[in-house]
Amino acid sequence: MKHNNDICRESKFSEVYQNFNKEIWRFIYYKCGSEAQADDLVQDAFIKLWQNCAKVPLNKAKSFLYTVANNAFLNEVAHKKVVLNYVKSRPDRVNSESPQFVLEEKEFQKKIQDALANLSEAQRTAFLLNRIEGKKYTEIAELLNISVKAVEKRMSQALSSLRKEIGKV
Amino acid sequence: MNKDYILHKWLNNAATEAEIEVLKNSPEYASYIKIAETVSNLETPINSSEAIFDAMKPQLAKKTKVKKMNPLSSFLKVAAVLAIVVTAYTYINSLNTSVQTNIAEKHTFLLPDNSEVALNANSSLEYNKNSWNEKRELTLKGEAYFKVTKGNSFKVKTPSGVITVLGTQFNVFARDNSLQVNCYEGLVSVEFNDTLIKLPAGTKLSLKNGVLANHQQFNKTSPTWIVSESSFDNASLQTVLNELGNQYPITITADIRNVNRRFTGSFTHKNLNLALKSICDPLQLTYSIRDESVSIYAKEGQ
Repeated sequence: MKHNNDICRESKFSEVYQNFNKEIWRFIYYKCGSEAQADDLVQDAFIKLWQNCAKVPLNKAKSFLYTVANNAFLNEVAHKKVVLNYVKSRPDRVNSESPQFVLEEKEFQKKIQDALANLSEAQRTAFLLNRIEGKKYTEIAELLNISVKAVEKRMSQALSSLRKEIGKV
Repeated sequence: MNKDYILHKWLNNAATEAEIEVLKNSPEYASYIKIAETVSNLETPINSSEAIFDAMKPQLAKKTKVKKMNPLSSFLKVAAVLAIVVTAYTYINSLNTSVQTNIAEKHTFLLPDNSEVALNANSSLEYNKNSWNEKRELTLKGEAYFKVTKGNSFKVKTPSGVITVLGTQFNVFARDNSLQVNCYEGLVSVEFNDTLIKLPAGTKLSLKNGVLANHQQFNKTSPTWIVSESSFDNASLQTVLNELGNQYPITITADIRNVNRRFTGSFTHKNLNLALKSICDPLQLTYSIRDESVSIYAKEGQ
């Protein structure tokens, strides 16, 4: 019982916040593409966690946060058109390439960004969780409360519609 | 081998080199890999986690406050207030009610059982409102006239004695070590020292310093002071002048050799001159009034 109350201690709560806030924020950001909305939903999710700190064991905190944030997102009335902004690409491998290749690469990235915005929310979230967060299908399935098969399906759909979109442009 | 299966395996970072080769040989799957790799290199904006945490703080504090609240403490607060109120209420209730009249002031009022009390000037009366129904008992200093409703025993305590009655009308005069009880209706018992005297209607009793001074009949239906007159029957001049001092706000100096003169008669409470006259004339005295002091002395030639 004492263990369950850990999150109620401010230091512990702050630790949980440091561990998960970025992850949750990005998760919401993949869904809605709005930084402000992600800020709000993350805040709401952690406040909910604080209010329920006595009921949520430490090892369930992460999935609690995902679920709350996801529900809050689904409850938002206005689903705006998604415009994802990615600040920059990771420059790691680009340095060794020729300027022309860099330019082409940038153009390709731009296309992909637009295409990502046109994916359905479910496909985009699963796809970006896998690609950017590097999460395995099993983890995604757990976070989204769906089966691994469903994750596979979303990934395949996401890839094929991205390919179509890019080929079209 | 199923390319989709390999693709998912690759997406889960579990594909072997050979399997990746298989995928790359197919233009469709090669483009999937290119897209997937490009997306992997995208970077999301960085949220300002500190700002969000700071924005949350007020609400976290709110919660902390609520959490620390001891559910007992609010109950204790209510209980403490209640205790104070109840204690104060019982204390105030247990206090005696006291009625007082000043010089030249009369006051008629009802007791809790509707018994009527007329309190003469410069007198005080004390009783307990709360226990009145169980114990009709009051303490009197001065003079008062009672019309007692029928019920259990009604006691008037005076410094000189205790008067007990059962529904009657009687007057009690208890000033300066003297007690005079007039019973106008019913039966009154007067208890002093170890003596108990029963006064039927139409009798009066006087005590002076705890000794029976007078016990005789009279014929009046109510005391005269009720109609603003003090009457005396063979009273000492000192008693008369004291009563005069109770009815008028004056100081009296009497220069009389024989203070033990007796006075029978009455004086009014409404006119000082008239009152002084009614006292002085029969006793062959004269008086002078200066401001609030009255001097009484023997008539010249006496």
